[in-house]
Amino acid sequence: MFFHIVLERNMQLHPRHFGRNLRENLVSKLVKDVEGTCSGRHGFVVAITGIENVGKGLIRDGTGFVTFPVKYQCVVFRPFKGEILEAAVTMVNKMGFFAETGPVQIFVSNHLIPDDMEFQSGDMPNYTTSDGSVKIQKDSEVRLKIIGTRVDATEIFCIGTIKDDFLGVINDPTTA
Amino acid sequence: MVRRFDDEEDDDVEEEEYEDEEEQLLDDEDYDLDEDVGRGRGGSSKKRGRSDFIDDLAEEDDEEDEDDDDEVYGGGGGGGGRGGKRHKAPRDGSQFFDLEAQVDSDEEEEEDEGEDGFIVDSGADMPDEDVGRRMRRPLPLREDEQEDVEALERSIQARYARSSHAEYDEETTDVEQQALLPSVRDPKLWMVKCAIGRERETAVCLMQKYIDKGSELQIRSVIALDHLKNYIYIEADKEAHVREAIKGIRNIFGAKIMLVPIREMTDVLSVESKAIDLSRDTWVRMKIGTYKGDLAQVVDVDNVRQRVTVKLIPRIDLQVLANKLEGREVAKKKAFVPPPRFMNVDEARELHIRVEHRRDPMSGDYFENIGGMLFKDGFLYKTVSMKSISAQNIKPTFDELEKFRTPSVKGEGEMVGLSTLFANRKKGHFMKGDAVIVVKGDLKNLKGWVEKVEEENVHIRPEMKGLPKTLAVNEKELCKYFEPGNHVKVVAGTKEGATGMVVKVEQHVLIILSDTTKEHIRVFADDVVESSEVTTGVTKIGDYELHDLVLLDNNSFGVIIRVEREAFQVLKGVPERPEVSLVKLREIKCKLEKKFDVQDRYRNTVSVKDVVRILEGSCKGKQGPVEHIYKGVLFVYDRHHLEHAGFICAKAGSCCVVGGARSNGNRNGDSLSRFGGFKTPPRVPPSPRRFSRGGPPFDSGGRHRGGRGGHDALVGTTVKIRQGPYKGYRGRVVDIKGQSVRVELESQMKVVTVDRNFVSDNVVISTPHRETSRYGMGSETPMRSARTPLHPYMTPMRDPGATPIHDGMRTPMRDRAWNPYAPMSPPRDNWEEGNPASWGTSPQYQPGSPPSRAYEAPTPGSGWASTPGGSYSEAGTPRDSGSAYGNAPSPYMPSTPSGQPMTPSSGPYIPGTPGGQPMTPGTGGLDAMSPVIGPESEGPWFVPDILVNVHKSGDETLGVIQEVLPDGSCKVALGSSGSGDTVIAMPSEMEIIPPKKSDKIKIMGGSLRGLTGKLIGVDGTDGIVRIDDSLDVKILDLVILAKLP
Repeated sequence: MFFHIVLERNMQLHPRHFGRNLRENLVSKLVKDVEGTCSGRHGFVVAITGIENVGKGLIRDGTGFVTFPVKYQCVVFRPFKGEILEAAVTMVNKMGFFAETGPVQIFVSNHLIPDDMEFQSGDMPNYTTSDGSVKIQKDSEVRLKIIGTRVDATEIFCIGTIKDDFLGVINDPTTA
Repeated sequence: MVRRFDDEEDDDVEEEEYEDEEEQLLDDEDYDLDEDVGRGRGGSSKKRGRSDFIDDLAEEDDEEDEDDDDEVYGGGGGGGGRGGKRHKAPRDGSQFFDLEAQVDSDEEEEEDEGEDGFIVDSGADMPDEDVGRRMRRPLPLREDEQEDVEALERSIQARYARSSHAEYDEETTDVEQQALLPSVRDPKLWMVKCAIGRERETAVCLMQKYIDKGSELQIRSVIALDHLKNYIYIEADKEAHVREAIKGIRNIFGAKIMLVPIREMTDVLSVESKAIDLSRDTWVRMKIGTYKGDLAQVVDVDNVRQRVTVKLIPRIDLQVLANKLEGREVAKKKAFVPPPRFMNVDEARELHIRVEHRRDPMSGDYFENIGGMLFKDGFLYKTVSMKSISAQNIKPTFDELEKFRTPSVKGEGEMVGLSTLFANRKKGHFMKGDAVIVVKGDLKNLKGWVEKVEEENVHIRPEMKGLPKTLAVNEKELCKYFEPGNHVKVVAGTKEGATGMVVKVEQHVLIILSDTTKEHIRVFADDVVESSEVTTGVTKIGDYELHDLVLLDNNSFGVIIRVEREAFQVLKGVPERPEVSLVKLREIKCKLEKKFDVQDRYRNTVSVKDVVRILEGSCKGKQGPVEHIYKGVLFVYDRHHLEHAGFICAKAGSCCVVGGARSNGNRNGDSLSRFGGFKTPPRVPPSPRRFSRGGPPFDSGGRHRGGRGGHDALVGTTVKIRQGPYKGYRGRVVDIKGQSVRVELESQMKVVTVDRNFVSDNVVISTPHRETSRYGMGSETPMRSARTPLHPYMTPMRDPGATPIHDGMRTPMRDRAWNPYAPMSPPRDNWEEGNPASWGTSPQYQPGSPPSRAYEAPTPGSGWASTPGGSYSEAGTPRDSGSAYGNAPSPYMPSTPSGQPMTPSSGPYIPGTPGGQPMTPGTGGLDAMSPVIGPESEGPWFVPDILVNVHKSGDETLGVIQEVLPDGSCKVALGSSGSGDTVIAMPSEMEIIPPKKSDKIKIMGGSLRGLTGKLIGVDGTDGIVRIDDSLDVKILDLVILAKLP
C-alpha cells in the first residue's frame, strides 16, 4: 500500500556545497540518499514529493560538515499481510516463483500455487496447468495475496499465494 | 504428622473397634483411610502420602487387606511390636477410630474369624503369599484403584451417601497433600544394599525377623521395589535401628546404609513409569540385534505373551540370504550391517529366493514369506519380545518418518504415524499464548490459544464463540497451530535455530521458507515457535557472522554464506567457479574487514555497496551490490541468485558498475593487465630515470615489494612489538615468513625481523585509504609525511600506478627532463580520454577538479595537477591499501639517499603547477608530493636474466642482468648472451630491451612476475604472451615484458 507521509532526516553536507545552491544540493543529496531505501516501519521510499522544511544547520566539530534536519514529504510503499497486489514474475524455480512489485520481492511457494499447476523445468521454467491454458513464467504478471511479510532493515520480503479465488496470472507475456 | 496419627490409629484399630463400637463420631472414610495405611504397613507407611484421596475407592479391598494385616501383626506375635509403637503416641489416633469400627465391624469380625487360622498358620512358617502381596501392594495399588475408580466411586457414594462427611476426602487440597509429606520428625528411609535379585527375599526375611523378634526390631517398614535392583529400603528412625535389623541377614552385605534425603522419599514410592502403553502405531526403537536403534512401528501387541509385532525397514542382504537359503557357506560374522532398504520381492526372486505369498490367518492380511520372515509392502514384520524394544521418549526424526511413509499410500498413513508422535513429546512445550488446534476427540479442529498449562491438561481459550471461556484439553489432543505467513523459529530438531515463514501447514508438519537459504524446510509444528526474529538460525559462531568475509587457513578467503551447527559454509573467493567449502571455526584465521576500492572493467571505481553487473562467466548478467572486495575479487549479492545465499564471486575486472561510465580506448581496455601489474610490481629501487619505453605504468611499482610475502592478513597491519630488543616499537608488517615477521618501524627508518609471537597484532588495523580517500586527503597527507619519514614514499603509490592517464602526462615531461632523447608520447590525448572516465566514477571530486583542467593543457606540470582524479580512484585499490605502507620496505632505504638528490631536480616542475594546488585544495597535499616522488618512484623493474641496454661511460652495450642488488643496482654480464664481463650498473644506466614478436620474454610485473614465456603477438600496447609453465596465453602490457637473451 502506498502512503504519502512526512519524514525527517538529518542531512550532512560537505562544505564545498555551501553557497547559492546549498538548498538544491541538499535536496539532490536527500533524493539520492533516501529514494529507494527501505525502513521497516515505513517501507520503501518511492519518491520524494516535496520539502517541508529545512532546519538550521549545525556545523560538526572537526569535519566541517553541516547537519541539516530536513523534513520532507514522500511516497512510501509498504506491503501488508492480506494485501492483494499485482506483481511481475522474475524467476521461476521448482520451489515456487519470485515476483516483484516495485521494490518488494514476493515469493510464492509451490505449496501456494494451485495444485493443478505443475512445474515444468527447461529453458524457460514455468508452472503450467495440466491443460496448458495457464502458464506462469518469467515476466508473467500475476495477482497474488500477501500472506506474510518479513521486514529487514533494508528489505521487505513477502510470501504470497495465488491459491485463492481471483488470483493468478493476469497477463501472460507469451499471449500479449 | 497426620500420617503418624494414622499409623497409630491403625494400630489401635483392632482394639478399639471392639471397645468403642458406640462411638460414631467420625465418618467412614476415615476408617478406610486408616485401614489403607495399616495395610500398607508391610510396604510402607509412606503410602499415606497419596493414599487418602483414594481411600474410599480402595475401601472394598481394604476390608480384607486390613484384616490380613491385622492378623499378621496380631496373630503372628506382633503384639509386642505393636505395643512398642503404640507406646509412642498412644492417644493420638484414638478419637478417629471409634466410629470406623462401627460400620464395618460385623464384616470384619466374620472375616477375621475366617482368616484367622490361615494367617496364623502361614504366618508362622513363611507367609509367602501374604508378604508378596504386601510387598507389591504399594506399587500397583494406585492403578488398580484408578481403573475402577468410577465403579467404586458410585458404589461408595451409594453406600455412604447418608454420611454427612461423604465428601470428606474427595477433594484433597495441595496443602493437605503437603502435610502428608515426610518431615524431619518422621522416620527416615534408608537404602541398603542387598544381593541382586534377592530384594524381595531380603524384605521377607526382615519381616519374618520382625515377626519373630517383635519389639527388638525398631524398623518400621521394608520396601523392595521391583524396578530397583540391588537395594531395598528400610524405614526407621535411626541408622542404628537399621543396622540392628539387618544384622545377620545373609542377603545384606556391606552394611552400607544410605539415607534417602527427605525430598526424595516420596519418589521412592511414587510410581514413576506406568506400564508402557504399547498400542498399535506407536513408534518404538529396537534395542538389540541387527536392527538396534532402528525405528519400528508397533503393529500388534500381545500382552499375554509379552510380545510385539513391529514393522521395520528390513536390513537384509539378499545375496547373503540367498546363499543361506541354498545352504551355501555363509560368512560367519558379517562385518557390516546391511543398510535399511525396502524388500523388493522381484529382486529376491531373481536371486532364486523362494517367496511365498501367504495370507496370515490371524489378521487376514497377505504377507510375503521369505525364509521365514514376513514382508509386506517392503516392510519387515517381526515379532519380538517387549523387552527388546524401547518405547519411551522415541522421537523419530523427520527423515525416518519420511522413509516409513514412502512405500505406503500417502495421506492416511502419515496422519496415523504422526499422531502417535504426541505420545512421546516432551512435557511442557505448550506455552501460554500459543495458538493450538485440537487434533483428536470431539473438539477436533477447534482452534484456540493456550491459557494455562497443567500437568497433562492444557486450558485453551477457544476461538469459536459460544463456548466456555476456557476448555481443558489433554495435551495429547493438542497440536500447535500455525498459519501460512507466520514467521517462526525452529527450536528443536535438526533444523534448530532456523527462522522462516510458514508456507504451508500439513497437519502438524510445517513447510517453512527459510529466511536465509530461501529453501523449504519441513519441520514438526511442535518444534517451532512463532518469532519475529529474523535470523538464519545460528548466524554467529565465535567472532564470525553470516556474510562476513573471512580469511581461511590456507590463505584462501571467502564469504560465509551459511552457518551450521559447528561449521560455516564459505563461498570461496575463486571467481572462475562457485566453490563452497565447509569450514570449521578453527580453520578460519580472521575476519577481513578492510574496505577496499577496486576498478571495474571500465576503470570505474568500485567500492563496497556499489551495484555492479557481472559481465562474464557463469553468472553473467547478474547484478547486485558489492558486499566485499578482496584481492580484486568482488563478492556480489544478488537477491535473485538462489545459490550460495545470493552471493556471487567475481573478478573486479569482469564486472561493471551500474551507472558507471564506460570509457573506452586502448588505454582503458587494458587497464586490467595494468592493474594486475600494479599489484605486485617488481622490486626495484627507485630510480630517477625513466627510460624510453612507452607509458610507464609502474612508477609506483618500485614501491611495492615483489611477491607480497604471502597473503597473511597481518601483512599491512600496524602492530606493536611486545618483546625483544624492539619492544614497544610500533610498525607496519611488511612480510611474514614462517614464524618471523618483518616489521617496518614507524619511528626508525628500518625494517626489522621479529618473531611472530613477539608481535601484538591487535593494534589498529590500518585502513588508511578508505578513510582518507574521501575528502580529507589533502590535509592528511602532509600530516602523515610529517609524522613519519617513510610516508612520502608511499604517496606515489597512490598516484599514478595504474592510471595511465597520468603516466601519459608525466612521461613526456620527465623524459624531457631526464632523457632528452627519449621519444615524446602525446600526453594530451590520453589525458582527455582518460579524464572523463575517472571523474565520472568519482563525482564527489568533480567540484575540485575542473579548475585544474584549465591550466592543464600547456604545462607539463599539469600532469600532477590532474593527479587527484586518478589518485583517488587509485587510492582505494585493494593492493594499495593493504600493502602500500608495508611496501615501502627496507630494500629501498639505502636508495633513499640516492633518491633525495633527485628531488631538487624535479623542483622546476613545482613552480609549474602552482595554480593547481590552490585550486584543488583537497588534493593539494598530494600534488605537492608528486614532484618529489615522481622521479624517484620510477624505475625499471629489473629482474634477473633479462636483456638490457647498458649505457656506461658513454658506451651502449647489451648485457644480461645476473643479479639485482639490494641497492637497486644490478650485476650485469655484458654481451648479448651474457658471456662478457660482469659490471655493476645503476638502474639509471640500464634500459630494458623491448621484446618483439616471438621473442622469449620474462614478465617483470603483475601477478605473473618472474614467469617466462614467449611473446606471440603484439596488440597496441599489449603483448600476447604464452607462459612457459602453464602454456596459458595472457595479454599483458608490453611494458612489463622484458626480452630474454
